[in-house]
Amino acid sequence: MPPVLPFRTRSAVSPYRRARPDALNFEDLLRPQVEYLYRLAWRFTGSVADAEDLVQDVLIKLFPRTQELLEIDRLRPWLARVLYHQYVDSVRKRARSPVVELVTETEGEDNPLDALPATKDGPEEQAERSGQRERILRALDRLNPEQRAVVAMHDVEGYSLEELETMLETPLGTLKSRLHRARQRLRALLPMEPFLANERVKG
Amino acid sequence: MECSEFALRLDDLLDGRLHALGRKSIEEHLGRCPDCRNRHEHAVAVLESVRKLTPPAAHPGFIDQALSRATRPVAGAARSRWRPVLGMALAASLVLGVALGVFLATRPEPVHAVALTIDRPETVRLMFNSAKPLKAATLSLALPENVELVGYNGRRELSWQTDLREGGNLMQLPLVARGVTKQELVASLSHGGSTKMFRLKIEVDNASRPGM
Repeated sequence: MPPVLPFRTRSAVSPYRRARPDALNFEDLLRPQVEYLYRLAWRFTGSVADAEDLVQDVLIKLFPRTQELLEIDRLRPWLARVLYHQYVDSVRKRARSPVVELVTETEGEDNPLDALPATKDGPEEQAERSGQRERILRALDRLNPEQRAVVAMHDVEGYSLEELETMLETPLGTLKSRLHRARQRLRALLPMEPFLANERVKG
Repeated sequence: MECSEFALRLDDLLDGRLHALGRKSIEEHLGRCPDCRNRHEHAVAVLESVRKLTPPAAHPGFIDQALSRATRPVAGAARSRWRPVLGMALAASLVLGVALGVFLATRPEPVHAVALTIDRPETVRLMFNSAKPLKAATLSLALPENVELVGYNGRRELSWQTDLREGGNLMQLPLVARGVTKQELVASLSHGGSTKMFRLKIEVDNASRPGM
């Protein structure tokens, strides 16, 4: 959990609010931010379920720090930083946990679920079912968590690299390098033709 | 300007971080180099596509429930999560699957087993491999006797809908054993009128239980 110092600039918290039960203050403060946190979490994870879990974990961690939250002036970037750390930690934690692969018990000739597990379809079938959105999500999945986060926070949410330097306590050069590699990788994974063809159709 | 220099300054161009002179020099280069012009157009198009990705809506009631769970007082045990299942993560699954050499098996294998210790919650991670995306598949769990899903005490059967993505889909189950069991955990996946079953043997180690 990061320290709050760079964001702690709120000059006066009302004595009334300070005296309220934490649960009320917590809801007042966080309710307007949850949708934003969910959106950012989805951009980190690409999955509704994972995004919801990430946000839930962050809220659970933050509730005991409600009085501290009351002191934070720029809450949104502070929360984005907490979410980022939680996301990176959760990915690393997963990487250390064992996985059990479930295997099929029965197989029937007409059962479409026999595709679990199965070899890949041919290129035509893949092209048919893979929309642009899926392609982009798959490409984002291939980035490491730090690269994916910098794309989400800089390219999508619009934080400048200088803001991220403070928020994530990461040197500017490191952020630039992550962004450069992430974009390069996305371009390599997302061939030029479909994009330019789409643009031409729209134009 | 050379193409190699353009490549180095592409990020600054995309981010609008170039001063007027640098920008003019790049524009002149783009005017006479079709390769770099294509590279630039491609970079802009990829960036725009990523920006245009809109997150699907969270589940109805998520905000209320997430806030409520965060502020709910708990005694001792871990707070239950929004759902029993932590979703499906393609990237992590791929990494883990490859690392463990168990990814994308193409034929039935013997039933797998996981070990639990009595009264110690453990997250069991299961991977479903799907050759194609499956929307609104129904996943059902039948828990063996003496095994509970954390936060769902006493419930032996659970069912919910989820979307499976192509490739590895990771599911995390926080399980706790309350005693020994000889049964298996059965997970059923249903989609389009068809059902597939998966079995997982639970081996319970009771050595750590006080007095045993």
